[in-house]
Amino acid sequence: MIKLTPEILQAIEKPARYTGHEWNAVEKNWDEAKCHFALALPDVYEVGMSNLGLKILYEVLNGRSDTFCERVYAPWIDMEEKMREAGIPLFSLESFNEIKSFDFLGFSLQYEMIYSNVLNMLELAGIPVWTKDRDDNDPFIVGGGPCVYNTEPVCDFFDFFILGEGEEIISEVVDVFVSWRAAGSPGGRQGFLREAARLDGIYVPAFYEPQYDDRGLFSGMKLLDDAAKPVVYKRVIKDMDQVTFVEKPVVPYIDIVHDRIMLELFRGCTRGCRFCQAGTSYRPVRERSKERLRELARKLVDSTGYNEMSLTSLSSADYSCLGEMVDDLFADFEGEKVSFSLPSLRIDSFSIDLAHKMQQVRKSGLTFAPEAGTQRLRDVINKGVTEENLLQAVEAAFKQGWKQVKLYFMMGLPTETDEDIIGIANLAKKVVDKYFEVKGRRGCTVTISVSCFVPKPFTPFQWFGQVPREEFERRQKLLKENIRDKSIKFNYHDARVSVLEGSLARGDRRLSKVIYQAWKDGAKFDGWTDLFKNEVWHEAYEKCGIDITQYNERTRDLEEPLPWEHTSPGVSRAFLRREYDKALQECLTEDCRRGKCSACGVCPALDAKVVDWRAKDV
Amino acid sequence: MYKYRAEITKGEEVRYISHLDYAGVIQRAICRAHLPAAYSEGFNPHMKMAFASALAMGVTSDKEYMDFEMARPLNAQEVMDRLNAHLPQGVRILRIKPVREFKNKKKHKSLMAEVDLADYELFMPLEGDWDKAVESVQEFNQLKEYVYHRVTPKKVRDIEIKQYIKDPVKISMSGDRLKLEMSIIITQTGTIKSSDILKILAEEFGLPINPVRALINRKAMYGEGKALIDLV
Ligand code: SF4
Repeated sequence: MIKLTPEILQAIEKPARYTGHEWNAVEKNWDEAKCHFALALPDVYEVGMSNLGLKILYEVLNGRSDTFCERVYAPWIDMEEKMREAGIPLFSLESFNEIKSFDFLGFSLQYEMIYSNVLNMLELAGIPVWTKDRDDNDPFIVGGGPCVYNTEPVCDFFDFFILGEGEEIISEVVDVFVSWRAAGSPGGRQGFLREAARLDGIYVPAFYEPQYDDRGLFSGMKLLDDAAKPVVYKRVIKDMDQVTFVEKPVVPYIDIVHDRIMLELFRGCTRGCRFCQAGTSYRPVRERSKERLRELARKLVDSTGYNEMSLTSLSSADYSCLGEMVDDLFADFEGEKVSFSLPSLRIDSFSIDLAHKMQQVRKSGLTFAPEAGTQRLRDVINKGVTEENLLQAVEAAFKQGWKQVKLYFMMGLPTETDEDIIGIANLAKKVVDKYFEVKGRRGCTVTISVSCFVPKPFTPFQWFGQVPREEFERRQKLLKENIRDKSIKFNYHDARVSVLEGSLARGDRRLSKVIYQAWKDGAKFDGWTDLFKNEVWHEAYEKCGIDITQYNERTRDLEEPLPWEHTSPGVSRAFLRREYDKALQECLTEDCRRGKCSACGVCPALDAKVVDWRAKDV
Repeated sequence: MYKYRAEITKGEEVRYISHLDYAGVIQRAICRAHLPAAYSEGFNPHMKMAFASALAMGVTSDKEYMDFEMARPLNAQEVMDRLNAHLPQGVRILRIKPVREFKNKKKHKSLMAEVDLADYELFMPLEGDWDKAVESVQEFNQLKEYVYHRVTPKKVRDIEIKQYIKDPVKISMSGDRLKLEMSIIITQTGTIKSSDILKILAEEFGLPINPVRALINRKAMYGEGKALIDLV
């Protein structure tokens, strides 16, 4: 057991990040468990504690009497320094046991720029960072989360990955582990991995060897073990009402990023935006029933004491019975001072009315995501929203008393021209003018937040080259010059980070050397603006003799094998190709949630189907 | 509205949470316990709750005091039991009493106005000679006045601190750790932190200890010589 001295705790920021004992934290007996599982998110406590997926897995694993599951996050740099000084290894937040003594260490990989933190945490734990250097005394290192649809750049650091939704498969993994241990660990680590690899949704990278052609391009995967499947498909939960959900989330003492209840209405979004990886990787849409959600809402308020609840999903306003459910929740919690919120709004008046109902007193800002500045480009990305839709929505909002609107856009989308960029400024100006028209005076603030597009695996844009940094910066400048109204605020992403993300997102296994080098040279918390070290990364590419533009800027040949295709969310290449063509033709594709199936391949590949309560009624 | 006063701990498990977060812990426990808390009016209603004195991050307490209000009258014992069932480790309600209004309709003073004295104990490794330690504390105790040049991020101020120290600081050994005990006077215009006194002892009087290694505990808080809960 690790003991933290006052000398350390009084010298760091927010010591409660490391001292545990939160409400609902599960404290079990180490010796009584057959499997010890540490769940990690390689970012600071406040971020890690806000992750819904890990909350669910924590509850699933601790729901098993044979399993001991605890949390660990990346110590902030001040704590890391103290730990290294005092020789304190990475420890878990419940029992303060060394992470190295667990059987599994699972990392939730939320975004690419956090990879360096995985290496750092492994080192702090005293676990060899390279998979090949680990032995029987080390835990199995497991990866999961949104980054699993291209694990290649980090797969030399992991023993295996869980693809897709984890609540069922994680328990199957524990079952395999417990019987393997009971049988005397036959075949050692390899023996366990071979057994695990037979489960659907488990990818063991060591059983696959990437091949490269004479131009140095990835040319295919060689399977090295008979347990290795040519394609590993993700796992999906078929019945969202039956599966375990969080009922007793750990309630932190300190303020965290999402310091409220997260009630997950449904999974998946099939609006079909062509840039969006979440849109392809969480298919098909599966809703929870209204009754189940009400029951969960009650339990969650009772078990946490939170008075704020976010109705979360990829596009919550699409939930089939949302209006009714919000009324029911209002009735259920009458007089209890519980407030509800929607994380994202659809661009229509239904959403505005709902938001109005939910934010009776305080009208903070409203956020919409038109994503592109012109209709042409919105058609390319299949964002089925028109300028008219947006202006109607903001008109309704201004009439209801809102004054602040935030608009999300992306820059560097395929086929984008200067006209599209200027279109962003024009659209924002029209929103400002709308306010004047409605209110007869000035006084609104329109914030436009523009991110740099990163092409992602398993999207119709996976073949496109990413815009180079200088070009992103030129477009940012162009946009800035075209914003002339003082009511418009302009925020944009650091293009330097986006191009690195661009290389890691579509990288192959050769990038593990680069990640290792960057980490060795001091990269960590790369997602944090103050700590991001751009040069370290570019130097790492150079030291490894790897041309970064190969990965981010290069446009892939449509026939070329892609290094991520063996770890699949189920969407077919044929569908992605069709969508790619339709993008170039500026043609729209319908949402399959309540419209017709666009044959993306997910439902047949996973033997799953859309669950939408409105579609069911008709 | 029905007002109650509670005597409550802040234990080892929650040593490193701030005063604001500590209040949040109690508020969430009130919600979990489904107690009919009274809220302030306005845009951003908050639970009506007041403490005697904010406790610094890193300090535990055997007895904190808090006044809070309920919209319905409940038996004090019931409030206590229901709350205790929903409080995390380290936070325990020891006593609850309803705050009875005076017959002459005079209002009770706020807790913050009532508290005038707090007892602290501080534990730390002795990093030197015991006799030297005793000597430094004695030297400090014998002074009639001591002006402390307090530097905070916000301001620099010279304050005479002896006015805030009730009895001589006591020194002893508790197991293998050095123990200091002090009673600190709290007035409407000012007070001094026990950690500041410790720093002065170490830096100015040569007490052979390192202040960053000290664990501080507030033992009691009084108003007019009585525990704050016995004032209602
Ligand atoms: S297979 Fe059809 S119904 Fe299923 S997610 Fe894909 S497009 Fe939608």
